[in-house]
Amino acid sequence: MKLVVARFAVLLIALAPPLAAQDSRLATRLDPKTYAAVIAIVDSARAAKLPTAALVDKALEGAAKGSDGEKIVTAVRQLSERLGAARRSLGSASTADEIKAAALALDAGVSPRDLARLRAAAGKRQVTLSLAVLTDLIVREVPVATASNVVVSLARSGIRDSELTLFQRNVRQDIEHGADPSTAASTRARGLVLRASATSASKPQGNAPH
Amino acid sequence: MPDEREDIIERVADELRQPAPIGASFDARVMRVVRALPRHVRRSLWSRLTTPRAVTFTPLGGGLLAASLVLVVAFAAPHAYLDFKHARAANGILARSEAPAPQRVQFVLIAPTARKVAVVGDFNGWDATHAADQAQPRGGGVWSVTAQVPVGHHRYSFVVDDSLWMADPTAPRVIDNVYGLPNSTIIVGEQNP
Repeated sequence: MKLVVARFAVLLIALAPPLAAQDSRLATRLDPKTYAAVIAIVDSARAAKLPTAALVDKALEGAAKGSDGEKIVTAVRQLSERLGAARRSLGSASTADEIKAAALALDAGVSPRDLARLRAAAGKRQVTLSLAVLTDLIVREVPVATASNVVVSLARSGIRDSELTLFQRNVRQDIEHGADPSTAASTRARGLVLRASATSASKPQGNAPH
Repeated sequence: MPDEREDIIERVADELRQPAPIGASFDARVMRVVRALPRHVRRSLWSRLTTPRAVTFTPLGGGLLAASLVLVVAFAAPHAYLDFKHARAANGILARSEAPAPQRVQFVLIAPTARKVAVVGDFNGWDATHAADQAQPRGGGVWSVTAQVPVGHHRYSFVVDDSLWMADPTAPRVIDNVYGLPNSTIIVGEQNP
């Protein structure tokens, strides 16, 4: 009997380290009341199969920024709700990074419908970087509708991650140099989409050898 | 000759058919032995479950049991695997053998008047005291640090002089409606071998 219980305990301990490590960090940085509230939200999120590491990080971030317990619980709860909404919009096969990035996009004002449009436009490709760029455009005062349309059109044209990174950098520099954010984003995106469509049109059709 | 043999067999059989003489004390002796046997002890459920015992099956029963197990595994295993896969994907958890190694990422901030700069983010638990993530002055107001960052999507910020939180001016930013201090995002990819 004792042997069986001991083996079961060893199995539990072997499975538990990441969670235990997160919990110990929370326990040392949060007051007991906040800790209990955060753990309850994390447990609910785990039951819903949401990426709970993001919630732990959110609580740790709040503690590092000197926020009070009430604010930390609010932030963690809001993030949990957004993670759920993000997964519903992107689909249950989405990765943790995609869900995290989509939750930040929702926080910036992107609609769940636009998230679903982006997922449909990207097909099976990852949308984490697209979502990060979308959020950045909104932070840099590109209107939400414009930013969403721009990023969806870029995803639909199948541009590579390196081109998307360059696009984000160029738009940021244009805005820093005084350009209207909406115009900068639309103009840079149009150029990329035209180039992508020209490249795909010039590619040989069928299975011709390269 | 055969008649003689049959006669012997018949006599032996007759002898064996005679009832064995049992003494008057036979019953008493049997009961004494029975009473001397250990009493039946009522065992706990756990003891019954853990005591080894031989279980016999008929070929038909064994075959049916085996077929049932095969059916259960055939139907349940794909669902269990998909559930595990989804849960793992949702939590970003990879088995240790699959987990990509953290990548070295350089963070640079131009802060000519700063006395101390650290990079904090979800990759170091937002801990500004983390020794490995303290930026070093490179001259001309340039501070830089190369940190080990796991593959994936991360939020981070610079902490200047232990008090001023600054987003990375060159990186994509995110809005923070609750804590109200700026953050940047970085997506770390797996390096090609």
